[in-house]
Amino acid sequence: MKFIHIADIHLGARPDRDREWAKEREPHSWQAFKEVIDKVKEEQVQLLLIAGDLFHGQPLVKELKEVNYQFSRIPKTQVALIAGNHDHLTLSSCYCTFRWEENVHFLKSEEIDYIELEGLGTRIYGMSYWHKEISEPRYKGVQAKEGNYINILLAHGGDEKHIPIKGSDFADSKFAYVACGHIHKPIQLVQDKVVMAGALQPIDCNDLGEHGYFQGEIKNHACHVKFVPLHYCEYVPLNLKVSPEITQGALEEFLESRIRIAPAYKKFKVTLNGFCDKEAPIDTEKIKSMDRVVKVIDQCRADYDFEELKRQYGQQILGRYIRALEEMPQNKITEKALYYGVEALMAE
Amino acid sequence: MKITEIQIKNFGKLHNINMRPLPGLNVIYGENETGKSTMQRFITSMLFGLEKQRGKSGKNDHYQKYEPWNSNSFFAGGLKFTVGDKPFYLERNFYHKEKSAKLTNEMDGEELSVEHGDLEMLLGGIKKASYENTYCIHQAEIETKKEFAEILQNYFVNMSMGGEGEVDLAGARKSLKEKQKDAKQRLEEQRQKRGDETEKLQVKEGLLQRDIEQLQEQQKESHENISRQRPGADLPEHDSNQMAEYLWDIRQKNVQKGYRVRLLVSTVITLFSLVLGIINATAHPLMRGGNWGWLVLELALLFGFLGGVGSVCHWFQKEKRLKSLIRQHEEEKRERNISVSKDREWQEVRQKQETKAKHRVVEELLQEQLAEKQALLLNLREEIEQNTQPSEEEQELELQVQAYELAYNTLQSLSKDAYQDSRKQMEEEMSRILTEMTQGKYDRIGLDEQMNLIVEKDNRKLQPWQLSQGVMEQMYVALRMGAGGIFTKEESMPIILDEVFASFDEKRLESAINWLSRQNGQIFLFTCQRREMEILERNNIPYGKILLSR
Repeated sequence: MKFIHIADIHLGARPDRDREWAKEREPHSWQAFKEVIDKVKEEQVQLLLIAGDLFHGQPLVKELKEVNYQFSRIPKTQVALIAGNHDHLTLSSCYCTFRWEENVHFLKSEEIDYIELEGLGTRIYGMSYWHKEISEPRYKGVQAKEGNYINILLAHGGDEKHIPIKGSDFADSKFAYVACGHIHKPIQLVQDKVVMAGALQPIDCNDLGEHGYFQGEIKNHACHVKFVPLHYCEYVPLNLKVSPEITQGALEEFLESRIRIAPAYKKFKVTLNGFCDKEAPIDTEKIKSMDRVVKVIDQCRADYDFEELKRQYGQQILGRYIRALEEMPQNKITEKALYYGVEALMAE
Repeated sequence: MKITEIQIKNFGKLHNINMRPLPGLNVIYGENETGKSTMQRFITSMLFGLEKQRGKSGKNDHYQKYEPWNSNSFFAGGLKFTVGDKPFYLERNFYHKEKSAKLTNEMDGEELSVEHGDLEMLLGGIKKASYENTYCIHQAEIETKKEFAEILQNYFVNMSMGGEGEVDLAGARKSLKEKQKDAKQRLEEQRQKRGDETEKLQVKEGLLQRDIEQLQEQQKESHENISRQRPGADLPEHDSNQMAEYLWDIRQKNVQKGYRVRLLVSTVITLFSLVLGIINATAHPLMRGGNWGWLVLELALLFGFLGGVGSVCHWFQKEKRLKSLIRQHEEEKRERNISVSKDREWQEVRQKQETKAKHRVVEELLQEQLAEKQALLLNLREEIEQNTQPSEEEQELELQVQAYELAYNTLQSLSKDAYQDSRKQMEEEMSRILTEMTQGKYDRIGLDEQMNLIVEKDNRKLQPWQLSQGVMEQMYVALRMGAGGIFTKEESMPIILDEVFASFDEKRLESAINWLSRQNGQIFLFTCQRREMEILERNNIPYGKILLSR
């Protein structure tokens, strides 16, 4: 049995809303979804698994109709879906009452339930979110019922507020495949068995790296999956080590050259590391305004050698200051304060 | 230490100047721009060197500031001085590429090593920063009342923590405060932006909510409407013309009545003719001959009878036809009525169904719209909730604000520790000097936690801002001198006073000068006024007079 596993499609999301390419990004989730449907059709995939967060928020009727239309294009494929935390069900939601195509199976129950796909000899287990947050590990120890079926679990979660999931939760379960969603990074928690599909396409610039779906096949109760990337957008982390010798212009030129050779769908999240000249710091706003730079994180530090400073200014206020801060319980604030104070004291 | 000869070879705007100050009080008089500051810098540079500082801009780098105007490579001078009656000669080349210092004991011609700290030893271990913080008193440093405490704090910290590299504590704290303010402002802007966004969303939320309420209202109304509506109330009447029907009825009835009257009349005439004919016939038998009159009457009666019978038949037929016509008409009418009512019934049913269907469509439409709006509302609320969380940028700024606060507070408490040790000693010394200088007008000078000067006068504690600029300056001089005394126990250093008495009135100046003249050390009093010299001359105090000119 061939299947495709997608999750976190987030239809209706508006990534990079405050950037000039927001318009171009908006239809990506739909385009990617349609591409998956095309793929299902083309490859004659028998089962499409959607592990939650198909929609970015509460779906509108027109969105449901559009999705349903897409499902109607693949009448021979069985579609199983659950609602995730983003598109969780409510009593009044149209999601709840919408009449789907016959090939679509929506596991609406708040408790883990299953549906039988007779034609495929498959039982699909799963539950939908009726709340934004569920912190109990609901999937832990879930067992498939007896019977000669291929058992598949649709699961949504993976962090502490959204049903924690560990690969080991399914160690002795009879599930041939656990199709997970929620965490946007594609990971095989257990090779070919417990798989986090990752967002179909990145939703914000923290969803770094490639995104796409998993395509797999279950033969004789053995499952094998492979990751298939889609390229509507990809956020690429770019860590740059700077030093006081590197000027703004040089940095921009280097970035530009890196951006130029990258394919157009790649956008860059730039992190500046290393030491900078405090007198002439890098203008991060200017870098952020560059084409296809989505975010700039400035982690540069002034080029201070604290040990040397302590040695040199041992009993003076500078040395005492460094020691005083180093003796405090270290956190982000003390770390920053150390630099700020030294910077202020070293200023003329 | 007493300077016996100053030899400026090439330093800033000054060159080839040679002067021999007295061991006591020296007044260096010159108008503005005659090189008084250059001379002061020359003395400190001779004593402590003049390094070209890396990375400093020209404005702050003394090397660049005092680089000779005529030649940048010839940058040198010499200084003769005595320490404990032993004469020394110090020569320096400041030019950074050929930097050198030569120190000779003039008594035995022995060359000492500046590099190995021989000069520092002669100076009693005082560092450049401490010297500049104590015995070099510039008018420019006596700043506004507000900053007075800051200067003192700075001064104390630098004095007690000493070392090379003067730290501008007040400046550091000020810059931290400013940066914190800046971060706070940006944080506030971000919050404001987010708040505006939330407000916009809330307006949208309100509109949506109203829409939903309206839809619900409509739903309720449509529900009520349907139950109130009478079935078939607005069914159209059958289109037959009832008035015409009525008129036709009346007309037919009239006609029928006419027929009946005529029939009756005819019957009467027939019967009458018949009876009269029989009577006539019996009374006058036919064969019994004749009276023609009778025969004629008989014949007339016969005609009447026959005519009557004919007319009866005629009218009877007519009436009968009319009757059947009316019957037929009524039949038709009834039939028509039956079909009409059936029609009506059927139409009613259909209408009911239609209304129901219509109602269902409306209901469904309303329901769909409602569901849609409710979905939108939920999404909007989600967005609003997300918007109430501070953004990453805000969190970062928040951290920055806290870090600046921590840096500021740490500096504050460190500097307090630093000056606590020497505070008491300082207070004693300062008070002594101030009493002497003001001839007992202010007898006690103190420092509070924040290093604010407190002056005791007639058992009242006064803040510096309650005093005049002149008094503040006096205190400042007292403070400097007092501190200098503490720092130079081993060897007294030349005191440099630069225009410090500028805002002293005559009386104060006189007592200050008198006090200065009683001091043991060598004093260089730089001034652009002649007042000091006049006072000295008036009081017959010996002093060295050095005049600078452009």
